[in-house]
Amino acid sequence: MAELIDLQPDEDMTFWDKHRLSLLLILTVLIALILTVVSMIAYNVSGTAQLDLSRPSVSSVSNKVDKTDNITEYSSFGSISKDSIDEFTKLYDAQATKAKAVDAFNGDPLNPEVLEFSTATSE
Amino acid sequence: MMRVLSTIATVAALTVLFGFTAQTAHAQSTSLTTEQIDNIRSNCTSIKSTLNQLHASDALLRVNRGQVYESMASKLMDSFNSRLGNNRLDAKATSAVTSSYRTALDSFRNDYKAYEEKLSSAIRINCLNEPESFYNTIEQARENRAKVHDDVMKLHRYIDDYRSAVSDFLLNYERISE
Repeated sequence: MAELIDLQPDEDMTFWDKHRLSLLLILTVLIALILTVVSMIAYNVSGTAQLDLSRPSVSSVSNKVDKTDNITEYSSFGSISKDSIDEFTKLYDAQATKAKAVDAFNGDPLNPEVLEFSTATSE
Repeated sequence: MMRVLSTIATVAALTVLFGFTAQTAHAQSTSLTTEQIDNIRSNCTSIKSTLNQLHASDALLRVNRGQVYESMASKLMDSFNSRLGNNRLDAKATSAVTSSYRTALDSFRNDYKAYEEKLSSAIRINCLNEPESFYNTIEQARENRAKVHDDVMKLHRYIDDYRSAVSDFLLNYERISE
């Protein structure tokens, strides 16, 4: 049975033959590292990081995300009539009221006076 | 010929010099008095705590508001424009507002990203060791936050504009239908 296996003597093996497994492992780890770095760059550059509420610094508010999307989608198919336009305006007005209800990012919480250190003088 | 070349070279050199000076002046940081530095150092912990709270609450606001603004465009505006298009009706006015709305939405996303990065970098700065750098970064974050608020105001205006465009369309439609 052993005669059927073509065993190559150690001295005839090249460096690559001897270290095939190690090279495979190193290559695999390198590829994984490169892909991880590329993913992290894409995660940060695309703005996804800002939407990720599982980050430790913002995880405290992750349970407060509004997960109920109550907006009824208006169908892009069908005829146009006064009734269909009225149906749209009804949906739109309800949603517009919700969208405009919050004056997001108003105020000036980063004002030095709010943060309890006095204003600086510019050079 | 030599005179023309030397004049062009002088103008180019002056332009570069002026540009460099203007940039340097713009990039100049704000200096703080000793009292202000002491204030930052003594309130360092409470300021950091406030910044952390703001960071978290603004992140939540960004996610929730972003969803609402995105749905307005994808579930209502785009659908209505498509429906008008499918019925071979004039959707130019509503499409134009939707396009402006989308542009404002992109600005909202980009400006929020810039603001969040600046606020995060302020939080990372050691305010005991680098009070000036800390102060300047907060000032930049403050400017960026004001931009985000401007974007929100723009989005609200486009929401109203779209409603007006739909009302105008309805008026024309009724006139034609009669």
